Amino acid sequence: MKTILVWDLPLRLFHWLFAFSFAAAWLTAESDEWLSLHAFFGYLMLGLIGFRLVWGLVGSRYARFSSFLYGPRAGLDYLRASLTGHAARHLGHNPAGSQAVYLLLGLGLLAGFSGLFVQGGEEQHGATAGAFGYVVGNLIKEGHGFLANLMLLVVFAHLAGVALESWLHKENLARSMVTGLKAAEPGTPAARPNRLIGLLLLAAVTAFGAGWFFYAWHEPVERMGGHDDAAREAPPVAFVGKTLPESALWQEECGSCHLAFHPSLLPARSWQSLLAGQDRHFRDDLGLEAATVAKLLAFAVPNSAEQHASEAAWKINRSVPADATPLRITETPYWVKKHREIAAADWKNPKVKSKANCAACHQDAEAGTYEDAAMRIPR
Amino acid sequence: MNRISLLLAATAVLTIASPSALAAQPGSALLDTYHAAAMKEEPGFRDFSARRGEQFFHAKHGDTSCASCHTDNPKAGGKHAKTGKAIEPLAPVANAKRLSDAAKVEKWFKRNCNDVLQRACTAREKGDFVAWLVSVK
Repeated sequence: MKTILVWDLPLRLFHWLFAFSFAAAWLTAESDEWLSLHAFFGYLMLGLIGFRLVWGLVGSRYARFSSFLYGPRAGLDYLRASLTGHAARHLGHNPAGSQAVYLLLGLGLLAGFSGLFVQGGEEQHGATAGAFGYVVGNLIKEGHGFLANLMLLVVFAHLAGVALESWLHKENLARSMVTGLKAAEPGTPAARPNRLIGLLLLAAVTAFGAGWFFYAWHEPVERMGGHDDAAREAPPVAFVGKTLPESALWQEECGSCHLAFHPSLLPARSWQSLLAGQDRHFRDDLGLEAATVAKLLAFAVPNSAEQHASEAAWKINRSVPADATPLRITETPYWVKKHREIAAADWKNPKVKSKANCAACHQDAEAGTYEDAAMRIPR
Repeated sequence: MNRISLLLAATAVLTIASPSALAAQPGSALLDTYHAAAMKEEPGFRDFSARRGEQFFHAKHGDTSCASCHTDNPKAGGKHAKTGKAIEPLAPVANAKRLSDAAKVEKWFKRNCNDVLQRACTAREKGDFVAWLVSVK
């Protein structure tokens, strides 16, 4: 027996970057705050899978699909043989491991592409923005989550398989995926190292990452009208959906005492009720002229929650019962649900102070877009 | 010549002497309006007093005064006591937009007098206050 190269450099890099991007996408799915990172790992994963498909055709010996074209039945047979301790050792992918490769590539593609559509539908962001509305986006999200869960199961099965095979054949398969080396009979053909292509792959991933973070960090914060201080502290905001209509009069009349809450945050009937009662506005008489009230209504009603596809508008409108006319955004069921887990200490923070101070955490509160990634609790 | 005219003449001289001054003294039209209204409201009324305006600004009504939100310094920005929303300085010397729109001045007197005094302000109170703001250098 002698040691030969089995896994070329591009394949090893693909393997670990693919594993990393899936794990990172999995972890960043936890909070809306990390949406732009989550999307980055999704794109990275899609790009890596694209590379792997090409490499499966033109890569070195053991990377080619033709070297491990096993069907599911062969995979099951091999698994059964492994469990009884009779499985033959394979230098490249064994029939059961091949199933993991195909499943992970396929599920990764489906999960990645479905993610693009979730983002386009739910957030009106990214490559598929505007293709369809919130409802469809939300449905695809269910599928997206299911695919990711399935993928995680396959990852666990793959890990169990690697452990079992390593133990059966007394070799460390995980280490081989790092070094690329395995013990082989003399005369067995080795893989070409393909170092240059490996380095190019690494350079492409690095450039993509760097470009993404530049894009995520600078430009969108500017576009969202983030203040200089906020921009410096801002989390990455990679995707910005459609901007919502603005009104100078609305800013002036509503924005002088409090944040000029965007009309897309309450149904039209709420704005009609608020403006009709402007002489009893939470115990204050606003003393607005009838003409001013009419102009404010002319902005609020066509831009109310019913009229916009932004996530906040859509969810607020859907959460308010048809017979209710909330006069505060903080009374809407969606707002209550979404802020339930905010700690009491955060509400008491002098930088926050009031539940009406949306801009304390939402950098784009003035614009009304409430992008997930523009949210940050001040500490 | 009445005192207002004298005051205007004096400020006109100062305006010409001061390189950064605006063409028209801010608030002069407002003061004329409030002067006429005060004459009607109070038979014995003679003229506004910047000093009284300043006292009015700082006077406490229960826990609050105008200064609660606007701070003691009319050249400084303030903060809405409840919402924390920033308020720009009151004195025209620090904020050229102030006193330039009579309707806006009236709108804020209406809201803020109700908030602080629980009643509307008199023409004399408004005039005193404007006279004081204009006098802040």
